[in-house]
Amino acid sequence: MIEIFDPKKQNLELYASPDKDYGTPPSQSENMISLIIDGTEITVPEGTSVMRAAALADINIPKLCASDNLDAYGSCRLCAVQIEGRRGLPASCTTPAENGMKVSTQNDKLAKLRRNIMELYISDHPLDCLTCPANGDCELQDMAGAVGLREVRYGFDGNNHLDAEKDTSNPYFTFDASKCIACSRCVRACGEVQGTFALTMDSRGFNSTISAGQKENFLGSECVSCGACVQACPTATLIENKVIDKGQPEHSVVTTCAYCGVGCSFKAEMKGEEVIRMVPYKGGDANMGHSCVKGRFAFGYATHKDRITEPMIRDSIDQPWQKVSWEEAIQFAADKLKATQEKYGRESVGGITSSRCTNEETYLVQKLIRAGFGNNNTDTCARVCHSPTGYGLKVTMGEAAGTQTFESVLKSDAVLVIGANPTDAHPVFGSLLRKRLRQGAKLIVVDPREIDLLSTPHLKEAIHLQLRPGTNVAVVNALAHVVVTEGLEDQDFIAKRCDDNDYQRWRAFIQQPENSPEAMADITGVAAEDMRRAARQFAEAGNGSIFYGLGVTEHSQGSTMVMGIANLAMATGNIGREGVGVNPLRGQNNVQGSCDMGSFPHDLPGYQHVADDDARARFETEWGVSLDNEPGLRIPNMFDAALAGQFKGMYVQGEDIAQSDPNTQHVYAALRALDILVVQDIFLNETAKFAHVLLPGSTFLEKDGTFTNAERRINRVRKVMTPLGGKQDWEVTMMLSNALGYPMDYKHPSEIMDEIARLTPTFTGVSYEKLEEMGSIQWPCNDQFPEGSPTMHVEDFPIGLGKFAVTQYVETSEKSTSRFPLLLTTGRILSQYNVGAQTRRTDNQYWHDEDVLEVHPSDAELRGISDGDWLGITSRAGETVMRAVISERMQPGVVYTTFHHPGSGANVITTDSSDWATNCPEYKVTAVQVEKVTQPSEWQQSFKRFETEQLEFLEQGRQQEEKVRVR
Amino acid sequence: MKTQLEQLIVMINQIVDNNSYGNTPEQTADATAVHLKKFWARSMKHQIIEYLEQDGSELQPAAKLAVQQLAG
Repeated sequence: MIEIFDPKKQNLELYASPDKDYGTPPSQSENMISLIIDGTEITVPEGTSVMRAAALADINIPKLCASDNLDAYGSCRLCAVQIEGRRGLPASCTTPAENGMKVSTQNDKLAKLRRNIMELYISDHPLDCLTCPANGDCELQDMAGAVGLREVRYGFDGNNHLDAEKDTSNPYFTFDASKCIACSRCVRACGEVQGTFALTMDSRGFNSTISAGQKENFLGSECVSCGACVQACPTATLIENKVIDKGQPEHSVVTTCAYCGVGCSFKAEMKGEEVIRMVPYKGGDANMGHSCVKGRFAFGYATHKDRITEPMIRDSIDQPWQKVSWEEAIQFAADKLKATQEKYGRESVGGITSSRCTNEETYLVQKLIRAGFGNNNTDTCARVCHSPTGYGLKVTMGEAAGTQTFESVLKSDAVLVIGANPTDAHPVFGSLLRKRLRQGAKLIVVDPREIDLLSTPHLKEAIHLQLRPGTNVAVVNALAHVVVTEGLEDQDFIAKRCDDNDYQRWRAFIQQPENSPEAMADITGVAAEDMRRAARQFAEAGNGSIFYGLGVTEHSQGSTMVMGIANLAMATGNIGREGVGVNPLRGQNNVQGSCDMGSFPHDLPGYQHVADDDARARFETEWGVSLDNEPGLRIPNMFDAALAGQFKGMYVQGEDIAQSDPNTQHVYAALRALDILVVQDIFLNETAKFAHVLLPGSTFLEKDGTFTNAERRINRVRKVMTPLGGKQDWEVTMMLSNALGYPMDYKHPSEIMDEIARLTPTFTGVSYEKLEEMGSIQWPCNDQFPEGSPTMHVEDFPIGLGKFAVTQYVETSEKSTSRFPLLLTTGRILSQYNVGAQTRRTDNQYWHDEDVLEVHPSDAELRGISDGDWLGITSRAGETVMRAVISERMQPGVVYTTFHHPGSGANVITTDSSDWATNCPEYKVTAVQVEKVTQPSEWQQSFKRFETEQLEFLEQGRQQEEKVRVR
Repeated sequence: MKTQLEQLIVMINQIVDNNSYGNTPEQTADATAVHLKKFWARSMKHQIIEYLEQDGSELQPAAKLAVQQLAG
């Protein structure tokens, strides 16, 4: 007989679909076993449950408490099966499949058992299926159907939970205890997936109830509203309020979240053009089916009444806006930009690309600037966040990006987290990291604040190096000093992979006694012994990974610190495999992409320097223009030039520089000095209040394109609704370019990606076709790496050998003094995102409706400050007022705030101090004084007046338009 | 609030400070000049050159050398 090769017979797991729930998680084993289920031979990895093995062959065993993102639990017993030669009816979810096993999933005995189980469940469950919000999406209903339940012999009169109260405290979902079947899926999701452990099963037996916190309501408990419980719930017990209001969605589209740099994949579940809910997509490799409160729930801003939906113009910012057609607005902008260049010269205008927009849109804006404006005055928000990452990693390892996948952390033995707060700022990665920490990986945190990661439930071992703000480089040097002087280096890796001259020079430097933990202790405030312990732990762990955030980059030595991190990773051989690496946690969804796409003034797409004649020539040929070979102005340089009267025009797409950039009064003055400011945004943001042309932007739900996350993962963004302003952002840039006389004619963003692939060596294999095929691609993706590169620098570095850099600690000029005795550091909070333009227009306001100043009790006592007092915060740059929160998360002498609300003026006090290499502002260190006050600061009062006036101008524009319409 | 020129002076001195370890002033100047060539806009380079020609007193010695290289 001829045997036909059937790959499915080798391992069914390879054919698992992200759209199906297989009941238990996949096994990672490489050993295959074969068993027979209902007469079908099935081959799966050893360790796979009987339930999963069956489901992979589309033999679907009834289940209620099982879900493949949770460990098997075996409580509902509905999944019982009969196994030849074994006694009883074991639960298939908790029974591992074994070689030669023979399993029956359906027979009379099993049917009777399952019906009995369902009968008991339903005897204490409301029979309101037709009016139930989960109707059409209820596993309990499905199982009742599957087992053929026809009657409930017990009646409904006995003790029951049918009158249990609803908890509607959370703005996004409702907990209806009357519908709970006590399967514990929510409790397990909160623990196993999210890692918060906010939910518990309270009491026993019939009295079992799900409890948030200690019998609190959901909002009052430590629940972080990630939505994992809602997703896990098989009934209507935990359900999105929008589903209750609107009913079940009718179609769904897989797209990518537009919040942080994790870049989660979601299914946008729709009714027509309305998003009913965003459900994390299991097939998304960045998040693997998990989400946070922002991506999961905070999408309502897309249809908020504040959306700018029609283009507007005005001659000066003290005039009301005028509604005009797209053509008129674009022509007005183009005429003004051209006139400005004629009057003040080619270099007098520039633009800012958006890290919230797609790769294709960002690429077009920088192309418009380089080819249309004829200069390199392009920059992006990475200037104020991760530009030092670009610089530092390029110098040391040859590529301006992180080296790993997020999932790689599951193979780390020690995790060093520096200046990052993943559970707030990158929550889905934070959950993954917590999972690894629960499994026993060691944690080292370098942070002036006690971040939540340190209080991870079931955390095994952690060291907190609570350094003084501004002393990162001193700490990383001390760690490397210990590694070198205690013989903890990976000599093989260094000899094979790193440049020896640079290494010897660095080694001589780092061994100096001034870099020892003992010598650095006075500077950093960290005990030498703790630093030694941390260094040993990291170097000796096996797989040591480093994750870092803006607490590394936003310093006067941000770039030095990034190089110091690379030095440490190379010295310990922690590069080039899973479980290790240097991982910048990027702030905004597409900040990696915006940098890759040539947003920096010195780099063409793919980090090809503008002075590189070969690279430039390729762009000149493709674009049909000659390009400037000198770098352009960076954002802070643009402001300085604007104040000096040399820089007069700007095109800003989706970036709120007036709120996010430091030294607000300086920024405001610079924006006022412009002759023409064109802002393209979804709202009248702070920058738009200084604009002359306002072009409606489109949200991620309204466009096609790609985002690139912190893992270099290129993921598709798919349009699910018509842009409220009528155009996707790339179409608007194209119109502006055409009006400026530089023709652009793309029919679809895929054509833009094809152009990017032609010009960017690390993208030559990227296309929309390949993205459809693979789901996502991690660049570099080219002839050398046709399937992309999950882990970088496996064989060698793009520059050949890794380069150790001498990283001398240079104290910041932003020092505390008797006049400004405290150090202010800034950060993010879970519920709000960046400048808050999106999240402030959602119910996330429930959690954080104002920025506050966290003050240590000893500093508060010294100044007579109590919780809730109004505090005047003064720095060398300015003064603002916020409410006090007394907190022990900082050390004495350090105060902390967020910058999510424009009126709080956090950036009025941050200064123009910046990274030496990239001008990235030193947000993380500002010397301040704090005292009790009774009224808002002068700046806040003038801000309020200006805001009221500008909102009035917008309203007048809107009304004026309505009058025209009536006529 | 610093003027544009004051800002450039701070920036170049900062670059010098961060590139001086174990280097002679000439080596630091080389590294600084490379950095300026690579990352500073044309107008910024012109201004700092002009400043050195007219005054230059606020520039550290290695910064002066670097600007001279840039001018040359």
